Amino acid sequence: MKYALYLGCTIQAEQFGCEISAREVLPRLGVELVDMEGTSCCGFPAFSSLSTIGWFYLSARNLALAENLGLDILTLCNGCYASFVETKHNLEENADLKGFIQEKLRQEGLEYTGDIRVIHIIELLHDLIGTEKISETVTNPLKGIKLAAHPGCHAIRPSSLGRPDNAENPQKLDHLITALGAETMDYPEKTDCCGSMLATASGTTTLTIAAEKLKAVEGYGFDGLVTTCPFCFQMFDGRQGEINDIIDFIFDTDSEELEVPIFYYTQLLGLAMGLKPEKLGLELNLSPVDALVEKIAGGAK
Amino acid sequence: MKSVLVIGGGIAGIQASLDLADRGIKVHLVEKTPSIGGVMAQLDKTFPTLDCSMCILAPKMIECFRHPNITLHTLSEVSKVTGSAGDFYVNILEKARYVDASKCTGCGLCSEKCPVRLPSEFQAGMGTRKAIYMPFPQAVPLVACIDSEHCLYFQKGVCRVCEKLCPAVAIDYEQQPREVEVNVSSIIAATGFETYNPQEIGEYGYGRYKNVLTALEFERLICASGPTGGKLERPSDAKISHRIAFVQCVGSRDHRVGVPYCSSICCMYATKEAVLIKEHDPESAVTVFYIDLKVFGQGFQDFVERARDDWGVRYIRGRPGEIREHPFTKDLTIWYENTDTGKVSKTEVDLVVLCTAMVPRPENKELADVLGVELDEYGFLKAQDPLSNPIETNIPGIYVCGCCHGPRDIPESITEASGAVAKAAELIVKVADGGEG
Repeated sequence: MKYALYLGCTIQAEQFGCEISAREVLPRLGVELVDMEGTSCCGFPAFSSLSTIGWFYLSARNLALAENLGLDILTLCNGCYASFVETKHNLEENADLKGFIQEKLRQEGLEYTGDIRVIHIIELLHDLIGTEKISETVTNPLKGIKLAAHPGCHAIRPSSLGRPDNAENPQKLDHLITALGAETMDYPEKTDCCGSMLATASGTTTLTIAAEKLKAVEGYGFDGLVTTCPFCFQMFDGRQGEINDIIDFIFDTDSEELEVPIFYYTQLLGLAMGLKPEKLGLELNLSPVDALVEKIAGGAK
Repeated sequence: MKSVLVIGGGIAGIQASLDLADRGIKVHLVEKTPSIGGVMAQLDKTFPTLDCSMCILAPKMIECFRHPNITLHTLSEVSKVTGSAGDFYVNILEKARYVDASKCTGCGLCSEKCPVRLPSEFQAGMGTRKAIYMPFPQAVPLVACIDSEHCLYFQKGVCRVCEKLCPAVAIDYEQQPREVEVNVSSIIAATGFETYNPQEIGEYGYGRYKNVLTALEFERLICASGPTGGKLERPSDAKISHRIAFVQCVGSRDHRVGVPYCSSICCMYATKEAVLIKEHDPESAVTVFYIDLKVFGQGFQDFVERARDDWGVRYIRGRPGEIREHPFTKDLTIWYENTDTGKVSKTEVDLVVLCTAMVPRPENKELADVLGVELDEYGFLKAQDPLSNPIETNIPGIYVCGCCHGPRDIPESITEASGAVAKAAELIVKVADGGEG
């Protein structure tokens, strides 16, 4: 299995743990990651809200770069995934638009056909590698730990376009969690948005949306929350402190501060493989993960 | 005088058979399942009068059984039809019942002792039956039958408990299917409908959430002859449900799942079921989520108004967007937009009832091939002209009535059945006069 690895902006600007852990665990599952030279932003969401054509151009450009390598493209970020899938769809539906974008790309020597596949990391892990193979690599099962799955909106919606999992009843991330020996269960807020899309429009709304989800997760007795998306991760992990700063305001009452450990799935997979926490970028997590990491990694010794 | 073939033993087929028989015309009534009765037998009450459904139906069923002019063929299917109006030759395939109908007294001892427990079709899966069974206590004929696909003797060659215990010595494992040929003047198709499986509509969680039921399942739950004796014990924890919501147009009027038409009976049966809940417990909170209330029949609007004003049933105009289940309590939260106010809200309930679309039976295709009649774009049997000729098909001498050619309620099905009988009788007279055939 060989893929062009597309990282996108969020990961390279701030979510290093996502990349570090993915690069650490995926090769151990037989995945060869090929770096892409000269990529740009996928265009979503900042560019897409201003210029649809600009967005399609940027996405198609990145897809053309992967086509150049003769490889399918692997995204770690839900936003990039959605952006590529939607661009491909729109260009397929509109021949004029496709011709226009192709013409622009030719000016820099790139050829876009739209023939390669866009692979989401959940699809890679669940469908292409499979939970059985993942379980085989687990030397340090995450026993007695109950984790909430957060697939994130763009991994499942809009359902009419190709998505790695079912929009109303996503289960693949759950299966991946149980493959590590951890527990999980369905919870009503599972498909709720992380809120990050509203960050530029309304700071308190975005924090409220994330806070409600985290509070629910805590209330159901989960030990932590797992996602693969860097956008969702930075919302729940990076901004949990900000939520706690205004938590009384958010819930309009005296509230306990939230303490929900947030993990990338690839970080937990690494721990379950017996890798050291520092190899997985876990020191970069801002949510209170230390106790749980200690418990898991301690179990390995 | 030639006889008439009626296919389907639901209320439409029963009414057609009785009307014909009372005119002195011989009838062959073919029913696929072990008993006549159809969906109406499964209903608790009928709208808008809240009559006991079985109390209306059972005498008609028994009359069918006893009528000298009616020959019942249960567990049977029409396998071949040749000829034309006034002179059809019909092959009826009678499957083996493995119980001698002339000996069985319907005592039920075999079912009692049978070790195999299966979901009951009559109870819409809410209760169980055995591998040897009578579908329901009022079944006609009241003769047991063996479900050979699940019977231990047929599957593994062991058991034979029913044979040992049957006081009438009626069990016959060697019984073979038989094919009979009948010569009839005309054919009335009354094969009915089935309900849409809402599992496809993922946001409502049917099949995932135990406390989300279809209306037919709920009908069994609230019925005194149902699995709980009419107590509204919800499936997850047998807690008595006091907060119940109905969701209209589940599948119906939904282009996404390919059932764009209105199923025409759901607004009324939801109202009926809502009132029944209130009769059980006036303190219950009952909500009906609807798009439009299509209550056009005689006495229907008045019934809805009584439900709203006298019984306190809450009607909210809005199609729920999502139903969520609490992981521990299994209570359900319904998210919806009230389109009267434009506000998005949520409400928590114990039980949700999905009022699912009426859809054509998948076997319609096979039947249409055998009869040579056309199907409409959805798979219902097609009447020549829904406006001016709603009973005749493209084949002279073959008529339709009831839900086999589209959703309709009980009174309309009965009316159509009598209409089809008039057509069939007319043909017999014409043939007797030498005018046709």
